[in-house]
Amino acid sequence: MENSKNENDSSQMRPGLWATVNERYLGSMITKTDFVPLARLKKPLSESRLTFVSTAGVQPKNSMPFDTVHPVGDYTFRRVPSDSKVEDLEIHQLKYPTVGAKKDLNVIFPIERLQELAEEKIIGELAPNFFSFIGYNMDALKLEQTLAEDIADAVEAEKPDAAMLAPA
Amino acid sequence: MMGHHFGVPHHKELQRRIILAMLDFLTAATRSGEIKMLPLKWATARREAIKIERKLGLKED
Repeated sequence: MENSKNENDSSQMRPGLWATVNERYLGSMITKTDFVPLARLKKPLSESRLTFVSTAGVQPKNSMPFDTVHPVGDYTFRRVPSDSKVEDLEIHQLKYPTVGAKKDLNVIFPIERLQELAEEKIIGELAPNFFSFIGYNMDALKLEQTLAEDIADAVEAEKPDAAMLAPA
Repeated sequence: MMGHHFGVPHHKELQRRIILAMLDFLTAATRSGEIKMLPLKWATARREAIKIERKLGLKED
């Protein structure tokens, strides 16, 4: 990974934007120049276990709320049992418009749709838990070395065959 | 659209379609980092969602 220093980089919405953001939140804007190799499913989806990782800040009610006002962000995650009912979940996240999600959580955390697809055996099964964190993390190195590692370990422990990742 | 990556409220069919397109791409992708654009329009999705909300009695005419 490297910080993008090139103000003429055409991948930026406005020249110099990333440098401006990087000045304020050092290390937060990064450019990946390499990708991990494409990993293929080893068995049909109808026989596979799927998990879901989201930055929507969805969590079970009565679990510790995400710290949505910390200036550098919250580097913890929550397990969301994949058989949860929508009414047992809540959102703690200020950085995206939640009006739609409060009408129907599935627009950002499609737990009911995934439950239905598993019931219909389009997906073999869902992992016991889904994983949720908030996407406001201004320390990219800390994010990579702590939260990302913690989630990766937790996901791997449940042995999914595939993971669906979605931002908020 | 931010906060609505799987569609619009109460439009179960659209939400399902987005997820199924993603799951299809799981096997159809040919290289790491490949992006697939879906032929969906937000304006169309919102219009359909308004009709669904009216049918469900969640929105007045």
